[in-house]
Amino acid sequence: MTDLRGKLARLFQGAGPTETETSSVELVSPAHPDEARRARIAGLRALIAEKERVDRNSLRTKPLARAVPRDRGLPGTVEETPLGPLHRVTNYLLPGHRHGRIAIADALRARASSMAALALDPTLAEIDPSRMLFLDTETTGLSGGTGTLPFLIGMAWFEDESLKVEQLLLRRPGEEAPMLTRLAERFAWASCVVTYNGKSFDWPLLRTRAVMNRVRVPAPRAHLDLLHASRRVFGARVGSARLVTMEEAVLGMHRERDIDGAEIPALYWTFVRNSEGHVLVPVIEHNANDLVALAALVAVLDERWSAPAAHHDPEDRVSIARVAIRGEHHRFALEVASRVADEDPPPRIAYEALTVGADAARKLKEPHTELSLLSRAIDLCGDHPKVRDAHLRMAICLEHRHRDPKRALTHAELAGEDARRHARLTRKIERKERAKQRRPRAG
Amino acid sequence: MANPETALARPAAPWAARRGLTALLEEWRDDAGLARCFTLDQTIEARTDRSGPIPEALAPMVRNALEKRGLTTLYSHQLEALDHAAAGRHFVVATPTASGKSLCYNLPVLDRLAREPDARALYLFPTKALSRDQENALRGLLKDASLSHGAVTYDGDTPGDARRAARERSGILLTNPDMLHAGILPHHASWARFFAQLRYVVVDELHSYRGVFGSHLANVLRRLMRIARFHGSTPTFVFASATIGNPKEHASRMLGADVALVGESGAPAGPRHVLVYDPPIVNAELGIRASYVKSAVRLAADLVRHEVPTIVFGQSRNQIEVMLKYVRDRLVADKIDPDVIQGYRSGYLPETRRRIEEGLRSGAVRCVVATNALELGIDIGSLGAVVCAGYPGSIASLWQRFGRAGRRTEPALALLVASSMPLDQYIAQNASMVVGAPVEEARIDPDNVEILVSHLKCAAFELPFEEGEAFGDVAPEAVGDGLGYLARENVVHAAPGPSGKTVFHWATDAYPASHVSLRSLGWDNFVVVDLDGDRTIAEMDWRATHTMLHVQAIYQHDGEQYQVERLDFPNHKAFVRKVAPDYYTTALTYTRVSITHEDDGAVITVRDGMPGRIPIAAGHGEVSVIEKVVGYKKIKFHTHENVGYGDVRLPEMQMHTSAVWWTFPEDLIRSLAVQEKVQRAIVVDALRGLGNALHLCASVGLMCDPRDLGRTLGDRTGDGDLPSKGDPLSSGERGGGFDPTIFLYDHVPGGVGLAPRLFATRDEMLERARTLIEHCACNIGCPACIGAPAGSTGAPPGLVFDGAKLAAPTTFDLKELALAVLGAAGLGRTS
Repeated sequence: MTDLRGKLARLFQGAGPTETETSSVELVSPAHPDEARRARIAGLRALIAEKERVDRNSLRTKPLARAVPRDRGLPGTVEETPLGPLHRVTNYLLPGHRHGRIAIADALRARASSMAALALDPTLAEIDPSRMLFLDTETTGLSGGTGTLPFLIGMAWFEDESLKVEQLLLRRPGEEAPMLTRLAERFAWASCVVTYNGKSFDWPLLRTRAVMNRVRVPAPRAHLDLLHASRRVFGARVGSARLVTMEEAVLGMHRERDIDGAEIPALYWTFVRNSEGHVLVPVIEHNANDLVALAALVAVLDERWSAPAAHHDPEDRVSIARVAIRGEHHRFALEVASRVADEDPPPRIAYEALTVGADAARKLKEPHTELSLLSRAIDLCGDHPKVRDAHLRMAICLEHRHRDPKRALTHAELAGEDARRHARLTRKIERKERAKQRRPRAG
Repeated sequence: MANPETALARPAAPWAARRGLTALLEEWRDDAGLARCFTLDQTIEARTDRSGPIPEALAPMVRNALEKRGLTTLYSHQLEALDHAAAGRHFVVATPTASGKSLCYNLPVLDRLAREPDARALYLFPTKALSRDQENALRGLLKDASLSHGAVTYDGDTPGDARRAARERSGILLTNPDMLHAGILPHHASWARFFAQLRYVVVDELHSYRGVFGSHLANVLRRLMRIARFHGSTPTFVFASATIGNPKEHASRMLGADVALVGESGAPAGPRHVLVYDPPIVNAELGIRASYVKSAVRLAADLVRHEVPTIVFGQSRNQIEVMLKYVRDRLVADKIDPDVIQGYRSGYLPETRRRIEEGLRSGAVRCVVATNALELGIDIGSLGAVVCAGYPGSIASLWQRFGRAGRRTEPALALLVASSMPLDQYIAQNASMVVGAPVEEARIDPDNVEILVSHLKCAAFELPFEEGEAFGDVAPEAVGDGLGYLARENVVHAAPGPSGKTVFHWATDAYPASHVSLRSLGWDNFVVVDLDGDRTIAEMDWRATHTMLHVQAIYQHDGEQYQVERLDFPNHKAFVRKVAPDYYTTALTYTRVSITHEDDGAVITVRDGMPGRIPIAAGHGEVSVIEKVVGYKKIKFHTHENVGYGDVRLPEMQMHTSAVWWTFPEDLIRSLAVQEKVQRAIVVDALRGLGNALHLCASVGLMCDPRDLGRTLGDRTGDGDLPSKGDPLSSGERGGGFDPTIFLYDHVPGGVGLAPRLFATRDEMLERARTLIEHCACNIGCPACIGAPAGSTGAPPGLVFDGAKLAAPTTFDLKELALAVLGAAGLGRTS
């Protein structure tokens, strides 16, 4: 072990470990034309935050947070806490703020019941929507495990009608305790944490950090992961469940200069090594935008569930009906689906609406409604291969709900090869015939 | 030589037909031709039972479990283990196979679980199969002790919900080092409760963790202790090992702390007949012996006929397929169902293996032809005989295999059939080593730089390092050097910590454990796909791919032959088609070594200091080794003649390791060529022969598996392009002007410390090689001294090709020439 240094030099000369590729990442050039604008915006935000902080702190006796001397160009303020320095970037979004088409303050009026229904999670039915905590982290990697750091914990919540965005930044590894303590404080306040994929990514990661730093961070009381709810409602139409895709397709928001997520870890290490705060500005913006998008998504989802309207995309409404069936809101599902079918949408969507409606009718034990919806589905199909699927549904409906094996067999035959079903139906027809013959004699 | 089958043809009335091991041994001994070939026929006396009552201190629940199994006493080694555990000492149990070793660790663990319901234990086994096997046994034991703690296997095959249960509830977690390394330690925060309550860590099959795998495991254990400490526990380590020469030292090195030894078995064992069979010489001129494969097959067939449940161990996957075919062929005449003879090797799919294991236990399978996949403690019941076709490379491995027979008190047979390979011949001629000599020592080098640095990375990912922190038994200064290197490479980031000390944080988005494979093999096996059935018939680790799955190779599986049609290297797939050739193939490899750093050098001491002697220089240090498969040859079944060659184009494999070398100055070679009136190339061939002898002596001297030690003849500077075939040194193309050098290198990246030890005995090694060549009974060279002379046959599968053997048959006496080289260097005959 005496010559470890020399051996290292020889063994790894020229061919360093693969992890060294970080240095090849392109840095954000300060000469970038947007840079001035970005810096100005950041400066303004910092000014607002500073003013806001002074206002809030003016009544306290605590020492004031000092400005950031070390990291040039980094927005935000540093506050000494018993566990170490806490770097915060604070911003307020005014009550009228819109994200794309959506007024984010509408999220305040979201109904807990809608969220519970769309997330298929009854614990959400009890939450207080005015105490939702929007949460999103930026991390040094996606692989998970104890070596991945969430270096930016973004949180947002409503104060009156304004959305307050508070982002906690890890200025250097090893200073996580104050961030996690602050997070625990907000968790204690919140009735519910709202994330995008936070159930499988952000929360397990934060829980790991809590263990690693020996800070107690109790699990959130309730957790609304919008990834799943959004995918259920918009997935069929949008195709991808990525947040930026949802933003464009659902919120009507297009981010102009959004940073590529893959670059984020390298930017962070550039910041840590060179103390150049400005490289993180786009990351902080990106994170703030994600938080605002969460609020907007809550508003949109609530509207889609509680007030389905003709101007909502019909395919989304069929998806709403599907979720409603899963949540056993069958009557609602039937109404939503029937309305879509009645609006004469494109045949593919009409077909989906009719079959989903039929499913709801089946659950409601309304066989005649089911039958009529399925007949419409068959008529709609014409020669389209889907017709076989419709006939199959019809055959099942007739066999089990209407006890009419004869008509069921007609549809089953149109549905295609299924020897077992055909044989069973034939047997049932014969049995029925025999019963019919016996009955007059008995009478 | 008399055919042993004639012994069976002795007139005997059918009702008097004798069966069983004792009868067969008598027949063998009565057959003069056969008996002559047994270089060892010794009986190890039965071992008596030494046991004592179950200690009062043992938890009543555990005592109940033992009593339910009819155990009222414990063997002395089991009692010793309980004493060490009670005192909180780490210990290693090194007693023979089937001596009740697993109770030595299960009892202390169960005792602790009975007293402390929240306690946890971690069991490590080298293979998945072993942990599954132990899981069942443990569950039975836990149930008998009325302990509700689960025993759960956690490996790549564990489904998601079972993983959560394993993390949260299981009292005993069974896993393998790879899973601990890549799946558990990097996620230790999710295992916080487990690590906080960790009381025992059991490492079974300790002897199998040698060389690079062992060095990796030692580092994984360093990480494990570090994580356990973070969560507030300091577990006791229990090791279990087959009988090796240095169990205490090996375990202590593995743990980086003192480990007590439990080495005396108190378990009884039946008498064991240990025999070594050296096939007769069939060509005295060339020193060629009868095929050991065929000899083993013949003897195994006798055992099957005598209804002795038998296991035949082969050296390679290829070879066991050949033997399986031969044994079945041979017993066709006896109307013995081929299905009672089965193959067993690592390429077989798990369900096939389970079926064979079950067949062995039930008696439906009477003979198994296996590789060392069956060597480790998989429970296959008791067998009457073990036949080892070829020496497995170490006495410890040999006994691990021998231990498969005679688990009860009945007599058992342990038979080694020596091949013509040099080490086998050495063992056959010194057969008393098998029963008398101290067995080998397992060696690891946990401080191998490449291995240590990769685990420092993993450890930094798991938990930031603080300045001045040690890593197991690695001193803080060395850890600091390693972390400094990683910081310069931007893999970790140094930042001041709360106490003012520097803290090193993981600082990339990589997951380091996924880049470090503990077995020095790629994570991904190659799959072998049968093009006709379009199904996967086997899996194989990628290192074997170069020699077994190159295009046109005959791949043998389950007694059938397949030809490789296409090798999809990037996707790790080989496509094969069933063929019926009359040959199999064996790969030709080329090796080049170049020195990257010389740690030390010396001139070989000249014994007869006469003027005009040109001394040999020796050295050791770090080298770069390039291995490439350049072609293959076709070997005919049964006759084993070469029937053709082919080219192979595969990427070369490079490795940095440590080596020892002996350089023969060009002047020495030239003057000898003049003196002996031969071409320079012939002298170089003689040197290659000397390299063969040195390799053999070094393997025996180090008591290591010869495969752990690579060997090649090259140039001191390692220049020149890689030739496609042959060897520039003997082809004469380069005309000379460089110094031929014999390299012996550690066959694992970074090396595990074999080379420095050889360098320390550099004079002695040359002397031993000279004596070996001088005293060998062959005429002009044989595998047991300078290697098979050119043009010979009988190369067993897997034999590493050495370029010179492709040349036309030589008539030079290379043995004499090799001795002359040493003479010219001042190392003449002693007499």
